Amino acid sequence: MGSRASTLLREEEIEEIKKETGFSHSQITRLYSRFTSLDKGENGTLSREDFQRIPELAINPLGDRIINAFFPEGEDQVNFRGFMRTLAHFRPIEDNEKSRNPTASEPLNSRTNKLLFAFRLYDLDRDDKISRDELLQVLRMMVGVNISDEQLGSIADRTIQEADTNGDSSISFNEFIKVLEKVDVEQKMSIRFLH
Amino acid sequence: MPLRTGSHSPAGFGKSLPERGLLLLMVLVFLEGSVLPLGAASSPDISHQANLDDHKAAHEGHNSTKKPFPVLALEYDRVQIPFEISLWVLLASLMKLGFHLIPRLSSIVPESCLLIVVGLLVGGLIKLAGEEVPPVLDSRLFFLCLLPPIILDAGYFLPIRPFMENLGTILMFAVVGTLWNAFFIGGVLYGVTQIQPANPSSLNQIELLPCLLFGSIISAVDPVAVLAVFEEIHINELLHILVFGESLLNDAVTVVLYHLFEEYAGVGTVTLLDGILGVISFLVVALGGVLVGAIYGILAAFTSRFTSHTRVIEPLFVFVYSYMAYLSAEIFHLSGIMALIACGAVMRPYVEANISHKSHTTIKYFLKMWSSVSETLIFIFLGVATVDGPHAWNWTFVTVTVILCLVARVIGVVGLTFVINKFRIVKLTTKDQFIIAYGGLRGAIAFSLGFLLNEDHFPMRKMFLTAIITVIFFTVFVQGMTIKPLVELLAVKKKQEAKRSINEEIHTQFLDHLLTGIEDICGHYGHHHWKDKLNRFNKKYVKKCLIAGERSKEPQLIAFYHKMEMKQAIELVESGGGSKLPSAVPSTVSMQNIQPKKPPPAKATERALPQLPKGREEEIRKILRSNLQRTRQRLRSYNRHTLVADPYEDGFSELLIKKQKMVELEKKIKEMSNYLTVPAAPPDSPTMRRARLASGRDTDFKPAQQQKGNKNCSDPQAYSVKPVSDSVPTIQVDLASPQSPDSVNLLDEFKHAGQQQPQVEDQGLMMKPPSGQSGPNKPHEADQARDQQKLTRCLSDPGPSADEDEDEPFLP
Repeated sequence: MGSRASTLLREEEIEEIKKETGFSHSQITRLYSRFTSLDKGENGTLSREDFQRIPELAINPLGDRIINAFFPEGEDQVNFRGFMRTLAHFRPIEDNEKSRNPTASEPLNSRTNKLLFAFRLYDLDRDDKISRDELLQVLRMMVGVNISDEQLGSIADRTIQEADTNGDSSISFNEFIKVLEKVDVEQKMSIRFLH
Repeated sequence: MPLRTGSHSPAGFGKSLPERGLLLLMVLVFLEGSVLPLGAASSPDISHQANLDDHKAAHEGHNSTKKPFPVLALEYDRVQIPFEISLWVLLASLMKLGFHLIPRLSSIVPESCLLIVVGLLVGGLIKLAGEEVPPVLDSRLFFLCLLPPIILDAGYFLPIRPFMENLGTILMFAVVGTLWNAFFIGGVLYGVTQIQPANPSSLNQIELLPCLLFGSIISAVDPVAVLAVFEEIHINELLHILVFGESLLNDAVTVVLYHLFEEYAGVGTVTLLDGILGVISFLVVALGGVLVGAIYGILAAFTSRFTSHTRVIEPLFVFVYSYMAYLSAEIFHLSGIMALIACGAVMRPYVEANISHKSHTTIKYFLKMWSSVSETLIFIFLGVATVDGPHAWNWTFVTVTVILCLVARVIGVVGLTFVINKFRIVKLTTKDQFIIAYGGLRGAIAFSLGFLLNEDHFPMRKMFLTAIITVIFFTVFVQGMTIKPLVELLAVKKKQEAKRSINEEIHTQFLDHLLTGIEDICGHYGHHHWKDKLNRFNKKYVKKCLIAGERSKEPQLIAFYHKMEMKQAIELVESGGGSKLPSAVPSTVSMQNIQPKKPPPAKATERALPQLPKGREEEIRKILRSNLQRTRQRLRSYNRHTLVADPYEDGFSELLIKKQKMVELEKKIKEMSNYLTVPAAPPDSPTMRRARLASGRDTDFKPAQQQKGNKNCSDPQAYSVKPVSDSVPTIQVDLASPQSPDSVNLLDEFKHAGQQQPQVEDQGLMMKPPSGQSGPNKPHEADQARDQQKLTRCLSDPGPSADEDEDEPFLP
């Protein structure tokens, strides 16, 4: 364990992460041990290959995109803080947080931020719109290879028609929020991190 | 009688409909009440008479004296039982009709209450007539005939996703909650009965075990009553599934407790060993029931795989397999309700992928019909049985029972929610808890179980029955009537009526994948992980076995999309928009907007297709009608076993294809608006024409099997949305007459060819002699399709590669 000393989590760091993400102490330590088990290179950061080593992720249709979401713009390594920041989006919304001071900055796991995370997975070029092509790409990933292009195209068209309110043939973030207003996002996008 | 009618409306009909309805009701009730005892009374007489007559006839036969031939004879006892059953069913259905004719009443009082009242009236009338009330709520009749349809209906249409997501909560309420209720009520009642007042009553003789037995009977929330009341209040899905799921799953607990206490009530003691055996028995009952149901469900799904040639009996398999599951479970004293639910839930996705659209509708409507009639009958019989008795009223016992039921339920719900909320992501609020507690209605199952008790073992059976009935009445009347205003008062979230849009479906699946991925990254084997594994297993192995043909590979998204499109097409046609398909721009019709009224008019700026004037449309409609009629006349001979192919059913799939083409073509038109006035006749016109014919042929003559699944893949080449190729695209509109009345001057490449045809309207523009007449059917159907396509079809050049493939299939 000697060589790992430099990568052990310090108390101040835990406190900082707690403040930023809202996870509890035990959750952070648990996730830290998971982080280190994924980190085969033992350098305190994860690369894309580390993620790809997870077997279930390989068969997940959205695997690559999810992995990308962890890495900030243009970088190839993610440290523990970044790891936790991304995972914080999936923390369940607690009741006491809902009533918090609205002027304080929104916590990472608020409904809007959860939806923004999902939106960014669609919107690869970060132009704040899901265009038809981007939608087609996601559909193709989810549906597999047996379906013809036209069929997917018509589904994509139909999807955009339903959601598009300002007529620009793409789905903006607000339209995205509106379409999912009936879906219980708080439950669907939350993982019960064990204490 | 005069008293009753006098109090309701002034004599004479011709008043408003509600009054009439009420009068009709009274008349019906009176009739029903009088016919039944008459039937009962006359039958012994008639049978007696018949016997005498028989005797006489036989006697006289020997003596061969001649009697005049009886022109009209009366023989009731032969048909008595079916006749009376039918009369009851008829009464139930007419009552249902009647209630909905009276508008105000049905919104204040839930149907179940009204039906019990009717039952009371009928029972009262029968008693008044001096006859013996038939034992209508006989336990065998109830458990074997009346209950299964309701449960099957519930199980088949159970929303699986919310049920599974809340399974933990539901199980907690069902198992722990019911146990708590049973023991609390039983225990406290025993304590109450043991209190020695100044004058000892018969109460003190009741021992502990009968009390516990009574507690277990009365503690179970009843699915029939819950369904009946919750149907009308439309609360949000979560609460509905919690209370309803609880009422279904507590059957296992009730069965075990009932049998346990009944067995040992005679002996007088229950040891620890019995308790442990009881727990094991519970697991066996519950899991065994589910297993039996699942086996039958898989069998049914497998059978449905082969029914493509005998569509008529498809619904039968669903019903019979489910009923067999129920009965098989009942043989072993397993939980029949859980078997039925498991069977319905397991078979549904596979059966629905295999059966035809019509069978699906049939199953849906039969289930709804049977469950509705069953429910109505159950409540009426409850009323009749109340009048019948036997009753032994004991103030203390009854009032204590009622109060205890309420108190136990509230404490149970609050306590359990406190524990459950620690594990839930979305916590249950106080409002939710209140509704769950208040929605714990008791019903006919409790009564039937009480009825089953043996009088010898349980001398206080009568008192039990009275108490049970009182509790049922209390919950159904008081709680049933007040829950609706309370829901309004507390502003509980209501059910969201709008159907799922394709957006929600896509994004939900997307989120599922996302969450599964995140769970895998965290190393957390939660909910999503197992669901994903199950889905994968399902897709890889199970679907291949149980779903016929191509549909087994169809992803869920595509199936959903198809269903949605089908629904929309049907609605479009029903709203009269069918023949106006060109003017219904699909882009403005979304699932949210689908109303029975017409779709909104097309935006004028985007349309490039010429508008047909009214006269033209009329002509075209006439052509269609006459062609369709001709097709019909050429039907095959009558065959009882096959469903006659409905011309409109084929039409739907065609509508879908056309709509799709429409959308694509409109897009292309927008892109290619510069090319509209392309000059005539490119050199490859014969091949193009054949290509069009060939592709047209592909869309027309689709065998029935393919029509369901592959409509969108049938001619991928003719209408592929390719980028604008270098070959000049032509847009051609087949009009009935060469003269396009509208401003947009679309060149018709085949106009001159078209003009050469004598009767352009009667024969397909494109079916020309080189192809020959390949059968008498085809030209006509091609006509019909052709005419329809004349309205909608704009063609784009598929490109040279398509021609080579299309060549062969067409030329005979």
